[in-house]
Amino acid sequence: MAEQNTRRHLLPPDPRLVGEEPDYRFTLANERTFLAWIRTALALAAGGLGALHLIDDTYSSALLGIALLALSVATAATSYRRWALNETSMRLNEPLPHSRLPQVMAVATTVVAVMAAILFAIDKA
Amino acid sequence: MSDSGDPLNARSRRKATGPKRIRRPLGPRPDNVFDPGLQHERTALAWERTAISMMVAGIIMARYAAQDAYQGIAVLGLVQVMLGGAVLLWSAWHYDELHGPLRDGNPVIHPTAARLVGISTLVFSSVALVLAVLFTLTR
Repeated sequence: MAEQNTRRHLLPPDPRLVGEEPDYRFTLANERTFLAWIRTALALAAGGLGALHLIDDTYSSALLGIALLALSVATAATSYRRWALNETSMRLNEPLPHSRLPQVMAVATTVVAVMAAILFAIDKA
Repeated sequence: MSDSGDPLNARSRRKATGPKRIRRPLGPRPDNVFDPGLQHERTALAWERTAISMMVAGIIMARYAAQDAYQGIAVLGLVQVMLGGAVLLWSAWHYDELHGPLRDGNPVIHPTAARLVGISTLVFSSVALVLAVLFTLTR
């Protein structure tokens, strides 16, 4: 029950409150995964800002930029939560929680790329 | 984080050994591989890459916001650059600091740094999204 509540929050409690210290290599690997997600969010944000400003002033570039920035917000908003939930699971010796974020990201990035291709093909025509 | 009484701490060790100066906070020389797979170094590098990404993203936002005369948001971009710089310095310093605890088998987790970076990235992306929507609507 308490765990269900934890899972709903964007900022779960400090993982150190429960369980035992796992092998330090797992802790560090979890940290690197978190940092990789943060960099993904920052790269998406940079790409979105770039789409808005570097490409000609059209509604298609605005749409593209906003889509990328929305993806960035979604990634950034869930990354700390994922890190804390993974760490908590490792400390309790439980299986790692399932996340749909990789699936969502793969599909959404593909959609954005296809959208970009179509919009710019229309723009050129 | 204060470990002044720790014999592995660099400063106290230097004092204890007098003129023979030891330049790194090393514990007893291990007889096996200290960090298989160089996990610690890879993590430190991941922190540094993230810090540099924060600075680059901050510069991009500051520049574009200033072009569109959103001065307040440009300042936020600069704050992100400074935050990235702070994380970069922290990770370099922390890389050295963590050798002792790692050899002693102490915890290596840092939720505060993760929280700081996670929240700042969320704020950054949200501000960028709001800026983009504002920019598109007011054109």
